Parts: sequence; structure tokens; C-alpha cells
Amino acid sequence: MTATCEKVIEKDSKKGDIMSGRVIVITSGKGGVGKTTTNANIGTALAKAGKKVVMIDTDLGLRNLDLLLGLENRIVYTIVDVVEERCKLKQALVKDKKNPNLCLLAAAQTRDKTAVTEEQLKNICEELQKEFDFILVDCPAGIEQGFQNAVAGASEAIVVTTPEMSAVRDADRIIGLLEAREEIKSYKLLLNRVRPNMIKSNDMMSVDDVVEILSAQLIGIIPEDTGIITSTNKGEPIVNDEKSLAGQAYRNVAKRIIGEDVPFLNLEEDTGVVAKVKKFFAGLIGKEK
Amino acid sequence: MKDIFTDLYNKVLGFFRQTEKKEEESAKEVACNRLKFVLMQDRTNLTPELMDRMRKELVELLSKYVEMDKEALELGFEQEGNQMALMLSIPVLRAKEEAEIEAVLAEEDAKKAEAEANKQENSEEENEESSEENETENEEESENEELEIEISEEETEITEESENQPSKKKTKTSKK
Ligand SMILES: Nc1ncnc2c1ncn2[C@@H]1O[C@H](COP(=O)(O)OP(=O)(O)OP(=O)(O)O)[C@@H](O)[C@H]1O
Ligand SMILES: [Mg+2]
Repeated sequence: MTATCEKVIEKDSKKGDIMSGRVIVITSGKGGVGKTTTNANIGTALAKAGKKVVMIDTDLGLRNLDLLLGLENRIVYTIVDVVEERCKLKQALVKDKKNPNLCLLAAAQTRDKTAVTEEQLKNICEELQKEFDFILVDCPAGIEQGFQNAVAGASEAIVVTTPEMSAVRDADRIIGLLEAREEIKSYKLLLNRVRPNMIKSNDMMSVDDVVEILSAQLIGIIPEDTGIITSTNKGEPIVNDEKSLAGQAYRNVAKRIIGEDVPFLNLEEDTGVVAKVKKFFAGLIGKEK
Repeated sequence: MKDIFTDLYNKVLGFFRQTEKKEEESAKEVACNRLKFVLMQDRTNLTPELMDRMRKELVELLSKYVEMDKEALELGFEQEGNQMALMLSIPVLRAKEEAEIEAVLAEEDAKKAEAEANKQENSEEENEESSEENETENEEESENEELEIEISEEETEITEESENQPSKKKTKTSKK
């Protein structure tokens, strides 16, 4: 893993002058590659680092972000209620259970993608930029109206993909669309569900392969981790688990977003029990020599 | 005679290909290669059919100047950083004699000139027809009209096509 991390964005919002938060859309093209998981984890990590964060779920009709954060029972109003003026924007923001810095603007579960327009989403983002350091937009799968809406207010993007052909192909499509949009100033690649063992045995494309093929800058490498599934079940993002490798990887992404230069985790290092035993014996043999 | 030569060439080529293929490609390599290929198609908007046509046209064009192995001509895109390049590799079987090349080109030029002449004749005929049209009687006029409609339809189709093409290319030709 050669790629070194770079600052995602040069400017960091400074307190004092009128606050202008960074609007980052998290998108992928292909469905189910980990957009919502990424959103929940990066959002939580940024909030833990003291940033004021709001997440917008734009996946109308298929809302999930509330579940991943364990906030599903607290939602009163949705983004559709805001644009249809049934409530104020502030009323629709749901605060996180643990972290008051973290808010969610939920998607409507009963409406479709046409219930909100690009213009309306842009206005919402602009409004939120005054109050928050980060606005993370969870984008639905696909390249249709839902994508266009989600991207409308953003100036940065994180493209989530996995080291699989169809996911990489769709990421390439998305990158093409992002490059065509002047408002998007930068985009970064987040490679999810990386399996070091499969890469090692040449059964899967490596991180370098994907980075080279897409010629995009990397912001994170997240390992395949069953802990992500259990954390979803509990409604608690895995970044809260200090021992988890995937959690660590997501915390690092958040640091890179803020501008810290954090090296990428070496996932190729074996961590299982067998590996530890192997290492132990290797150590003994090493000493004998 | 030529056949013997190509036969031999194919055998030699086959030998090298065999030795090359000794090690089977890993799943990772297959994935990378397939993906690179399909992404180039996506990025250039060139379907396999179009690539095939481009290949055929290139073979036709280049065969005028060199005798090459038409089957082994390789055409593809390669990405170097942000720059995309069209890569063409043609095994040359034999250099052509100067006279041979000139003969082919002369023949082609003659054909072109002929086609040009035909075109002019046709358009002259058309003009004559339209000027005649004013003078002829009603029955004949209607026949001529039909003919004209057909022609104009063809014309609009052509202009539509040429208008569509550039906008298609705009979608994504290269990465910034
Ligand atoms: N690194 C990982 N390791 C294991 N499982 C993962 C990982 N990342 C995501 N998953 C699982 O993959 C599934 C899809 O994840 P997620 O909902 O975040 O994807 P998505 O891109 O938002 O999907 P959609 O396109 O439907 O919105 C979930 O069940 C999640 O738990
Ligand atoms: Mg999702």
C-alpha cells in the first residue's frame, strides 16, 4: 500500500468568521457497498473529534442511516416534511443519543426520490453550513435523480467501492459524473470490504490495483469485518469500538478529512490466533540462529 | 507461396504464445484485465462493435502500405496516469515493394476520381429533373415529387446523425 494520504480539503472551517461547513456527499453507484455504514462511522468519528456534524439521508423510501445510528425511534419529522414546510429545518434534526455534536436529518420512508428537488437539497445544505462543520450526505445507489439530488449541495465527495469488478466499474462511472460537475472540488476513494487474505493469494484485486485502475486518491481502506454487522444490529457505529480494526480504519478516515496525515493501516499483517502462534515459533527459530 | 509463409509465421507465433501461457492467470489478474478493458469501453463510448469496425478499417487502411498479420492486429486503450492512449500493435509479415504500394494507391485514386465524377453527374441530373419539373404536366409532377421526398428524407437523416455524434462524445472521453 503505497498511496500516502493527502489533505482532503485545504480549508478548514475557522471559528470566528461566519461558519461555512463542508458538504461531503458519500456515493458509490453500485448499491450495498457501504455508503451508509461509511456515513454513520465517519459522522460519529468526526463528532467525537469535537466537530459539529449533521448527516442527511437522501435515500428516500429506503432510509437506513437512522437504524445504523440507533435513532429510528426518535424521528418525528423527515427531510420531506422540511421541504413541504410542515416543520422548521431545526425541528427535523435528531440529536444523537451520546454525542450532542451529531445530528441526523432523516429520509422519508413513505415517499419516492421525486419528493425533494436538487434546488431544495441545495438550500438545505446552505442553511446547515451556517451551523455545522460537516454536512455528510448519504446518497442512494444509482446515477438517477436520487444521485443528482444528493450531489446538488456538495463540494466534496467520497466514492465508496469494494475490490470487486462491478463495484469498481460503477465507481468509475460515478467519478466521470463527479468530474463533470463544477461544484465538486475534490473527490476521494474509500475502499471497503478489503480481504487481505484473498489479496495475498491473488484471488482479489489489491488496493493498489483499484487505485491504479481508477486513478483516484485514496482516503481510506476498510477491512471486511463481521463486527460491522453486529454493530449495525446494535445501532452503534463500529468507530465506538476502540478494539475494532474496521473502527480504527474509519477513525483514520475522519482524521484525514480533518487534515491529519495518518498512514494507512497495514491490513496484510496477520492478527488471528494462528498467526500469533506462527509468529511465536518464528521468534523462537529466529533466536536459535 | 504466401500461404506457406503465413503458415510458418502462425506456427512460430503459436509456439511463443504457448510458452507465454504456461502460468495460468490468477483471479486477480483476470479481474484487472477484464476491468481495464470494460472501463476503456465505458470511458470512450466505444462498443465492441465499434471497436471491431475500427479494427477492420485500420486493417484495410494499413494493408495498403504493409503486409501484416490481420488476425494478430491488437487494438486497445491504455491508461498512463491521467492520459489515455490508443495502442495499436501489428505484426508485419513483409514489407511491400514501392511499386506495389504505388499501384494500390493509384488504383484507389482512380476509383475515387470515378466516384467523384459519378456524383457530379448525379447532381447534374437532379438539377435537370427539377427544372424539367416546372414544365411537365400534373401526372408526371406527382411522380417526381415522390422521388424528391425520398431524397430529402435521406438528407435529414444524415444531418441528424452528424449532429448527434459530437454530443455523445461529450459525456466522457478522458479523465482530467
Ligand atoms: N467492511 C464491511 N465488512 C462487513 N460488512 C460490511 C462492511 N461494510 C458494509 N458491510 C455490510 O454491507 C451491507 C451494506 O452496507 P450499507 O448499507 O452501508 O451499504 P450502502 O452502500 O449504503 O447500500 P445501499 O446502496 O442499499 O444504500 C450491510 O449489511 C453492512 O453491514
Ligand atoms: Mg445506504
